[in-house]
Amino acid sequence: MPELADLTLVEAADAVRLGQASSMELLDAVWANLEAVNPHLNATIWLDREGAEQAARQADQAVREKAWLGPLHGVPLAHKDMYYQAGKLSTCGSVIRQDYRPTITATVIDKLTEAGAYTFGGLNMAEFAQNPTGHNKTFGDCHNPWNPPYITGGSSSGSGASVAARFNYAALGSDTGGSIRLPAAACGVTGIKPTQTRVSRYGVMPLSFSCDNVGPLCRTARDCARIMTLIAGRDPRDPTSAHLPVPDYEAALDGDIRGLRVGVPTNYFLDDADAPVVQAMEQALEVLAARGAVIQRIALPLLDAVAACVSIISRVEGATIHAQWMRTRAADYGVHISSRMYPGYAIPATYYVEALSRRGPILKAFARDVFARVDVLVTPTIRTCLPTLAETDIDHGPPGIEHKFLAVSANTRPFNYLGLPAVSAPCGFDPNGCPIGLQIAGRPFAEARVLQAADAYQRDTAWHNRRPPVLDAVGAMGVTVA
Amino acid sequence: MDTFLAEIEQTIARWHGIEAPNDPARRMAADLVATIRAFEAQRGTLAFEDEPASFEAALLETREA
Repeated sequence: MPELADLTLVEAADAVRLGQASSMELLDAVWANLEAVNPHLNATIWLDREGAEQAARQADQAVREKAWLGPLHGVPLAHKDMYYQAGKLSTCGSVIRQDYRPTITATVIDKLTEAGAYTFGGLNMAEFAQNPTGHNKTFGDCHNPWNPPYITGGSSSGSGASVAARFNYAALGSDTGGSIRLPAAACGVTGIKPTQTRVSRYGVMPLSFSCDNVGPLCRTARDCARIMTLIAGRDPRDPTSAHLPVPDYEAALDGDIRGLRVGVPTNYFLDDADAPVVQAMEQALEVLAARGAVIQRIALPLLDAVAACVSIISRVEGATIHAQWMRTRAADYGVHISSRMYPGYAIPATYYVEALSRRGPILKAFARDVFARVDVLVTPTIRTCLPTLAETDIDHGPPGIEHKFLAVSANTRPFNYLGLPAVSAPCGFDPNGCPIGLQIAGRPFAEARVLQAADAYQRDTAWHNRRPPVLDAVGAMGVTVA
Repeated sequence: MDTFLAEIEQTIARWHGIEAPNDPARRMAADLVATIRAFEAQRGTLAFEDEPASFEAALLETREA
């Protein structure tokens, strides 16, 4: 039988519901891995073992009393440290908020709690969710579980690392330019950025209110589907959230992708891509084709316009909300944070409004052209082999290093501007032993379809089941299912 | 100092009261030249009636059936 910490989120929840494991046993299992591995990864900012034990005892009591059990009953989780929980620390990864305790709780946290989950800590993240690598000046850099000198991807660095290293069954991340998909790809887990407006952002630290998204990082597409079914939907406290019904994403995972039209872009997404990454993507396409998907190479329209507009919105919005701290506490930001925000103050308002105003027309033209021909788009999540933390360290590196730093998110940013849902699933490893991610994007509100494609792929592959070698190197102990 | 960068620094200081926090910030500000070039290439493509509110409508209009 598998060790409890090796279970997926769905398996862990099912184990509690079926009486095969207690919530306390799950907590003990993830905690054993956390204590063994986390000193090498630095994936957490704060922990609350006492509170988690109390929640676990209550969950186990509910099982004994045969109370109603939610879809995540008794599952311990930790999230990126920017999801507000009233009275609890929420550092947002910054010294500026190192003591911040919000008075409200994020809607998505409330929804996960209603489903029976509880939180045991806050995870490391890029400072104010503003880098694609996992560097953090205040709390220390997060390290890749597969090869610690390499980046975890960011900004949801601890989310990716903790799930990969088997001390967290799932984690919420946030994605403004790739911050869920990048750590999912770099850490060898599965993550989804939903359609813009699909998930409430109430009680979540803002970065760019036009481009911020909330979503999960998990071991599998099925795990992501379970979380998405719970957290998606209209929230009166977030007036930007869509008024659309939420399907049962997990029920739609039938493995049947016969006839699915898969588009592989011939422009932009493979520019200067590394050979091992392209090879992994091509092998993944063969897996999808073997299941009946129809692979088509297509040129995507309007990418120059997307490239011109994509960074304007988040740079201006991020610079605006940080303006007062940039005046009074600029030295408290990492160099790579303050240096990227600074030019945002010189971007003309007319550029910003143009970038926003063209977003709808560009999306319509893009969707009309592309989704008439294909159902989903497949690209590498990161087009190069992973760089090391040192190779992307703007704070301490030589001039020019920022170009390598920014290149990490080249393939994810366009889908933020277009607002499209996109999942990243592991599809191989590079020569340095670091994971490679496969990005699958769809039309607006096609979360079910992109998850279905990722799930179908995972039915025929085992990349998502691989364990990082650090787990065995440090002798992380496991507890098996009864 | 490059004239363009000097103008950018003066503009940010005048309009926002913010000084360049470090040298990478100056380099990235100098890179705004690339932003200008990218927008130059897009001139004439913004329609008179386009407005930001059209994005949410476009999401719904182009959604999966």
